[in-house]
Amino acid sequence: MATLSLDALSKTYPNGVTALHGVDLTIDDGELIVVVGPSGCGKSTLLRMLAGLESISSGELAIDGRRVNDLEPAERDIAMVFQNYALYPHMSVADNMGYALKNQGVPRAERRRKVEETARLIGLEDLLDRRPKQLSGGQRQRVAMGRAIVREPKVFLFDEPLSNLDAKLRVQMRIEIRRLQKRLGVTAVYVTHDQVEAMTLADRLVVMNGGHIEQVGTPMHLYDQPASRFVASFIGSPSMNFIEARHADGVLTLPCGTHLPLRDGASTESGDAVCLGVRPEHLVQVGQGDDTTLTTQVELVEPLGADTLAHVRLDGQAELLVARLNGAQQIAEGDRLYLRPDPERLHLFDPQEGHSLAAPETVS
Amino acid sequence: MRYRRPGLDAISHILLILALLAFSLPVWLAIIAATHDQSSLYTGTAPLWFGDQGLDNFRAILSEPVARLGTDVARLLFNSTVMALGIACGKIFIAILAAYAIVFFRFPLRRLCFWLIFITLMLPVEVRIMPTYKIAADLNLLNSYAGLILPLIASATATFLFRQFYMTVPPELLEAARVDGAGPWRFLRDILLPLSKTNIAALFVIMFLYGWNQYLWPLLITTESDYMTIVVSLKRMLSSADNLVPWQAVMATALLAMLPPVAVIVLMQRYFVKGLVDAEK
Ligand SMILES: Nc1ncnc2c1ncn2[C@@H]1O[C@H](COP(=O)(O)OP(=O)(O)O)[C@@H](O)[C@H]1O
Ligand SMILES: [Mg+2]
Repeated sequence: MATLSLDALSKTYPNGVTALHGVDLTIDDGELIVVVGPSGCGKSTLLRMLAGLESISSGELAIDGRRVNDLEPAERDIAMVFQNYALYPHMSVADNMGYALKNQGVPRAERRRKVEETARLIGLEDLLDRRPKQLSGGQRQRVAMGRAIVREPKVFLFDEPLSNLDAKLRVQMRIEIRRLQKRLGVTAVYVTHDQVEAMTLADRLVVMNGGHIEQVGTPMHLYDQPASRFVASFIGSPSMNFIEARHADGVLTLPCGTHLPLRDGASTESGDAVCLGVRPEHLVQVGQGDDTTLTTQVELVEPLGADTLAHVRLDGQAELLVARLNGAQQIAEGDRLYLRPDPERLHLFDPQEGHSLAAPETVS
Repeated sequence: MRYRRPGLDAISHILLILALLAFSLPVWLAIIAATHDQSSLYTGTAPLWFGDQGLDNFRAILSEPVARLGTDVARLLFNSTVMALGIACGKIFIAILAAYAIVFFRFPLRRLCFWLIFITLMLPVEVRIMPTYKIAADLNLLNSYAGLILPLIASATATFLFRQFYMTVPPELLEAARVDGAGPWRFLRDILLPLSKTNIAALFVIMFLYGWNQYLWPLLITTESDYMTIVVSLKRMLSSADNLVPWQAVMATALLAMLPPVAVIVLMQRYFVKGLVDAEK
């Protein structure tokens, strides 16, 4: 049970690499915050600074209003789940889970009781006497979770905890983590590079890029109103399509000649070049082409079952566009495809800076 | 990689058996000689079968002062054991702490410390024996167990081996322990030491043998028979200008001198194998 507040947190490593450039964030009690971003953007650095495993170069970190910059990890009352689990190989599952309690001086009987209680909660009660190497990947993951839960910390920190599991187990554990976190009501910060994982877990998402926070918001908010081209391309799968376009008197003209109406309030002048973003699921197939449709040629078909992804070429566009079509649709490579971008779901970005040009009131 | 070739198997077995015979012949001769009386060893031919003394020679050297030594072999065995155990345990203790400091702590001149320790690898006892002797003499360590053990107790080799092992310990383990509230001592005691059990066992064997076989240093520092070690004494039993060498006693002593190292290897071998099979890490 805790709130975290990060005020202009920065990190410069001794070798001169600045991994974080002033991160501001407030995390509410019981909230599950997912920090997502490409590899090397500073997610782990941020998490490890919260944990106290990395020193804070500048800025303030407070847990429940108390400044904790200079406290040891154990004094911050946090628990961390590591990517490779970091279980103690020579200790049994029970000892692994009870080690923190032992260091706190909790008597043996009470320790045992708490460990067993936690083990029951996460389905480990039959494995308490095993060593980590006698467990499967998923079970080790559970032990790592159990080790965090048993201490009843103020904050859970997760660093890509599922990336060593196979896809199916990952989905299962994801749901379980979410369920446990809600049930225990503990504030949690979860780091991942997997945007699907991020979307499904998060109360609020923090998208990071190059040591900066790009945007913070609920998954749907980030999906609907990305503040930048980076966020737009990172959130949602497959990624958003981007097309260079020109704005003239409230109408967007694409290189292929298509005209699209501009929504009110976009901060762009007539004559500006803009970057138009359309999600694959907002390209609608129509039978007949007109001047509001894109005329494309299918280059690659990915049937997913319910949906079919069509990678299509637009005249005058180097990169392929992706459209998510109904799986019942019969399409083949080489087919001509007329796609109408949903005019309500268009995104506009500055072609150089990448920030959103959407109406100001919708950008938070 | 294992090759399966019957011909090769036969040849390697024959070679192994020949080597075994060659190596065990001297041991056999020593066992035989230790069961004869002195006169039958001076007939000109070496006996190849047991004599009529049985274990009497052993009984004699263990219970009565041996000629030229002034003490019995039991005492010598005890001295050697104290020295070898002291050296082995001391080396391991110091090496563990030194390697722990070098690997897990960031302090000024850390690299320099490591290289200074590393350089002493090139300075065996023989090279520094004069100054060491002077210091031992000044500190009144001549003819004492401390004098036998302390100068040999620092080990660059063991420090280096522990350092190499510690560097393979995943850093997350240390971080997990820090988050779990384990300070430096707890981390060492609860995590690092249990993980290095097999390394400790292996080093213990090597260092015990090293200590047991010390010759030059004990020879220099001990003049009283009460602190003499068995390896040094063996040589003294042979150096007889006027008398016949009592070969039966020498052989019995040599055999006894072999027992503790063999016992250590046999006992500790179980831990190695267990360690290898468990392969915890
Ligand atoms: N211990 C370190 N020393 C120096 N640079 C580091 C260290 N750890 C990470 N970095 C650098 O900091 C940046 C962010 O790393 P990290 O936080 O691990 O990214 P992420 O977890 O998002 O992949 C990277 O450029 C990385 O090279
Ligand atoms: Mg990382």
